[in-house]
Amino acid sequence: MTRDTADDEAEWSDAEGDAAVWGDAADDGEGWSDVADDADHLNGNGARDDDAGDDDGVHDRIVRDDYGVALRGVMKRYPSGGGDPVVALNDVDFAVRPGEFVAVVGPSGSGKSTLLNVLGLLDDPTGGRRLLDGTDVTNLSVGERTQARKESIGFVFQDFHLLPTLTAVENVSLPTAFDPGDATDRAADLLSRFGLGDRLDHEPGELSGGQKQRVAIARSLINEPAVLLADEPTGNLDTETGESILAEFERVKEEGVAVIAVTHDSLVEEYADRVIELRDGILKDGIADETDPLEDITSDRNADAALAPGER
Amino acid sequence: MTGSNTREIKSGGEATGRLRGWRPAVTMAARNLRRNRVRTVLAVLGVSIGVLAVAALGIFGNVLALGAADAIGDIGTQVVVSPNADTGVESLSATDVAGIRRAVDDPAVGDPAVVPLYSDNGIVEGASSQTFATIYGVEEPGLAFESAEGRLPDRHRQGAIIGAGVAEDLGLGAGDTVGIAGSQQRVVAVLAETQTFSPVAPDDAVFLPESAFAADGYAQALVVSESGETAQAAADAIREEVNAREERVDLFELAAIVDEINGFFDLLSTFLLGLGGISLVVAGVSILNVMLMSTVERRQEIGVMRAVGVTRRDVLRVLLAEAGLIGAAGAAVGTALTVVLVAGLVAATPAVDTNLVIDPTNGYYLLLALGFGVGVGIVSGAYPAWKAANERPVEALRS
Repeated sequence: MTRDTADDEAEWSDAEGDAAVWGDAADDGEGWSDVADDADHLNGNGARDDDAGDDDGVHDRIVRDDYGVALRGVMKRYPSGGGDPVVALNDVDFAVRPGEFVAVVGPSGSGKSTLLNVLGLLDDPTGGRRLLDGTDVTNLSVGERTQARKESIGFVFQDFHLLPTLTAVENVSLPTAFDPGDATDRAADLLSRFGLGDRLDHEPGELSGGQKQRVAIARSLINEPAVLLADEPTGNLDTETGESILAEFERVKEEGVAVIAVTHDSLVEEYADRVIELRDGILKDGIADETDPLEDITSDRNADAALAPGER
Repeated sequence: MTGSNTREIKSGGEATGRLRGWRPAVTMAARNLRRNRVRTVLAVLGVSIGVLAVAALGIFGNVLALGAADAIGDIGTQVVVSPNADTGVESLSATDVAGIRRAVDDPAVGDPAVVPLYSDNGIVEGASSQTFATIYGVEEPGLAFESAEGRLPDRHRQGAIIGAGVAEDLGLGAGDTVGIAGSQQRVVAVLAETQTFSPVAPDDAVFLPESAFAADGYAQALVVSESGETAQAAADAIREEVNAREERVDLFELAAIVDEINGFFDLLSTFLLGLGGISLVVAGVSILNVMLMSTVERRQEIGVMRAVGVTRRDVLRVLLAEAGLIGAAGAAVGTALTVVLVAGLVAATPAVDTNLVIDPTNGYYLLLALGFGVGVGIVSGAYPAWKAANERPVEALRS
């Protein structure tokens, strides 16, 4: 994989993430710039700030690193023909902890999809910083972003987006299909956990909507991601099926994955730990009120046992 | 999907590592191709017709060239030296022949055999019929001719050697008696039929020992080389040696003409291949079209693959594998069709010499067409694959 990454050098990004803005943050105890020090599987990417080592807020730093995904002051502008650029995200601060289920709501055109694309490393911000699983991922090459998506991000789409030529188990293992090693067993395990143990070799055409979405969720979990991003996950499902899918999200969340769902569906809001509204690119209360940020986020990420096979 | 690869990676080195991604790519590609069978089959058909055109026209051109080379055969390798009547030379003297021998006694011109001939005309009589024929006097017939019947003597001392045409006309074989210019001779050998044009025209001639002639000098001398090139070199050497002071001899050599004829057939072959190539290009365009359509249709799917972490290189592999599979299938079908077509033509056309058709050089055209077919597939698939693999997933998913 490293070779693939190295070869994928072309840069599509026009992002101009300015690390320096946050590099000074160590002084006020925020310690944002410091998270890159933990970077191992991703390149630190120039976001390191050695000054952060002076930070005596060790306590704080642990807390920040525990975010599954975070945006700080993120801007996203789209050029529009001739006129002023369209601002899709305006100075967005947003963070989700592992094991937290956050619903982002807002009217159409409010920037929800952009937010999801920026969070999911499908699109780069024009400004601000982006952190994933404790690593600065503001400016990555195309190959690095692909690698980071594979390793740390799971996607669930409204239209399921399964490949019609692949069976359920092959769809689940798609992210690893080109890697050495065989993920078929893990894919089958995941499908069994979502109650599809008897549908392993079915193609998407032979599955119901709810089943397809379960396959999609299983696919998003094949690489044990830090973050699961869902775009209208219940949008194409009836209420009952939608509820069962949301129940699956709860179980995923309990495994320590940060779950973020962008939605119009009030049902999703019921299941979410937090509901955040995005309006005209402005996000209110994107970071949870932290009375005691250390509580119960200690080791959830490793709690695979939280979901016993077959448990619903 | 990658199950059986794991072991290979562990035992293999860099090579297996490079191949690693192709296996799942080919598997996926094959399934994608099965999705729209009609389209796939039509694209394969296009390639197979292109491959058929290249291979069949290539082989036709080659058979023509081979047949021509066969027919022209020896004339390119023979130089006929005759006295130059314009300067008053009536026959080749022993000095002239010695000069010729001296001129070609050089490894650089391939050391060709020099066969001086006396010449006359006369009636040749068989048992029941007679014909008018050229009568040659020759000492070493084995250097210039081949026998079909009987054995050519190293030194021709007695008896007659008769050309294939004369033997047929008069119904003669080795051991028979033939009347030549009034004297009875025993036929010691019958020459093999020559399919080539030669000023000596041995088919319609009889050959007697030199002793049967009382002439002062030779009518001509044959210089028999191994190849057209050495024949030309020999002719040049003879001109330089024998015609140095006086234009004593005329040289009749066809090597240059043979070169031109061969050049023409090369051109013809290239032209035919070019014709075939055009249809292969058309086939390539059809693959390009199929792949473009199919990648546009599957834009979202490709976007999903990219989104869930499949690298651009692997997407490229899948799509290249699709185009390559179309090309390979088309090439295989086209090659098989060519074999059938050529075999059918040979069976239906007795005039075509089977030996020319099963000549190994024709296999080269089959392989060439096969390679072109696969190559056209990959080249035509490259642009759509590159385009699809490099599309930003966020754009692809939006549609």
